[in-house]
Amino acid sequence: MAQRLKPYLRPMAAARMASMIVAVNISPLIIETQGLTKRFGQRHAVVDLNLAVPRGCAFGFLGHNGAGKTTLIRMLLGLTRPDAGAIRIRGRVIAEHRPEILARVGAIIEEPHFHGHLTGRENLRVVAAVRGPEAHTRIEPALARVGLSDRGNDRVRTYSQGMRQRLGIARCLLADPELLILDEPMNGLDPGGILELRTMIGELVEEGRTVFLSSHLIDEIEKTCEAAAVIDRGRLIAQGPIGQLLGDDHTELDIGCEDPSAALDLLATHPAVALARKTTDGVRVTLADANGAGVINSRLIEAGIAVYRFSPVRASLEDRFLEITSRVGGRS
Amino acid sequence: MNLTIAFQMIAADVLKLRRSRGPMVAALVLSVGIIVLYFGVMEVRRNANLGGTEGFLNGITLLGIYFGSFAAILIGTEAGTADVTSGVFRDLVATGRSRTALFLVRVPAAITVALVFTFSGFLVTLGATFAFSGSAPTPDLGLILRSAGWVVVATAVVTSLAVGVGSLTGSRSLTLTAVIGWQTIASTLLYTAVFLGSARDGVLLIALSHLRPGKHYGAPDSPGSSGALADLDLPMATAVAVLVIIAWTVVPTIAGAWRTRNQDA
Repeated sequence: MAQRLKPYLRPMAAARMASMIVAVNISPLIIETQGLTKRFGQRHAVVDLNLAVPRGCAFGFLGHNGAGKTTLIRMLLGLTRPDAGAIRIRGRVIAEHRPEILARVGAIIEEPHFHGHLTGRENLRVVAAVRGPEAHTRIEPALARVGLSDRGNDRVRTYSQGMRQRLGIARCLLADPELLILDEPMNGLDPGGILELRTMIGELVEEGRTVFLSSHLIDEIEKTCEAAAVIDRGRLIAQGPIGQLLGDDHTELDIGCEDPSAALDLLATHPAVALARKTTDGVRVTLADANGAGVINSRLIEAGIAVYRFSPVRASLEDRFLEITSRVGGRS
Repeated sequence: MNLTIAFQMIAADVLKLRRSRGPMVAALVLSVGIIVLYFGVMEVRRNANLGGTEGFLNGITLLGIYFGSFAAILIGTEAGTADVTSGVFRDLVATGRSRTALFLVRVPAAITVALVFTFSGFLVTLGATFAFSGSAPTPDLGLILRSAGWVVVATAVVTSLAVGVGSLTGSRSLTLTAVIGWQTIASTLLYTAVFLGSARDGVLLIALSHLRPGKHYGAPDSPGSSGALADLDLPMATAVAVLVIIAWTVVPTIAGAWRTRNQDA
């Protein structure tokens, strides 16, 4: 089972997770939904959703605004009841074990809300009281971790959006969470704040926690997460490791060379090439065989064409996302 | 949920309330300020009944039925609505803690804070009673203790009413309008609607007035006397008044708990 998770995980987290799964026989999936459906009147917000989120990774949940991301998160946290289907978190059915499950889950839903008239530290005290005595001991470490120790005694109404997001993460950490659910955490953050949050998510994952990151910012999911799921109009369109979603089979090559016309003539009829076209400083080829790159390189050198760049063309997640959602949703 | 967590949650709700500057200042003015103002005005008017038993009973009436209860309503409303209006309720529910527990801790927290103001007003009343008594008779210990008990009950029941209605509506303005409107205008109108007969016994203010200590003390037609300040009493059995007060505590609490359990967070 640990081997199955390997593509999703960073090396250190993978090793830690593998030993943990074997040692205590825990479920390799931290979130699992089956046939999850939610309607609001006649409108289907989530339809027959089968989601599988592996432990110990940053998992992106990608979709347009209104695709059903927040509705799913609200169901995961028991804030609203599904009309059909089942949810398992940390290996247990949420409908039956909600308090035990959520005791180790931290969440920011849509945007972090606080009592503006209380200080950051007092807001954490309020949530720690609800979580239990151990949470009180985590207030100072959590504030320190998000860099708010110095501002902890200021009223939250004086905080910037970025500081509120960080305080929201600190509030999540009071649970010593196995799973953090962050709904659009990058919203309203400046580039520096986004970078900080991305780094923090990476650190949390390295500690063996799972971060479930919902966003419509495709670029951020690609940079932050090892795996993702794509939702469109309430339906799950695709899920898996980012590389797999991107279709990283490296069948398209960008070749920079001295004589693009000669290179094109040479490669257009080569059996390892399915398609070739000239670019400004070389050629772009689509391989007929994924292992044909070496053959092509040798052929160009044999023909005396100097090659100074030879790189696989990697589709962006944005390309794939738009491709997938357009195909399924009939978007233009 | 064990007792430690319950006490911590109550303490957290007390913290939320006491840091709410606006409602706290208003509650202070309504519970202590009004008492000071009352005795101040009586002093200026050189009223013979300024201190003593007469002044004491007027003071506790102001606390238990009029302005002190407005302070309790303000605090109860704040306790009942703060989590929802700030958006924090959703985050508290997401901790997995039972929604009923999240509601129930609001009631003792609000009552605790409301009683601080009520007791402060009571102590000011007691001080003025003896300081300005002159030759007038002063209340005995029994009357003082019964009055204190009545003020506590009145404060607690009105506070829990406001917490329940606040949790039910989730709106601060709607709750304040509804509860203050009910406790002042609607209750007084119902009191005067003689054709309703004993149905009027079910009005909280009338039941509280019925249990008010020393209600027969002083002349009803004498301005400034306790009889003139609170004359919403109706003849009814004490047990009926007690049952009415219990109902006004329990029913809004159940309604608030039901709403807290069932609302989408």
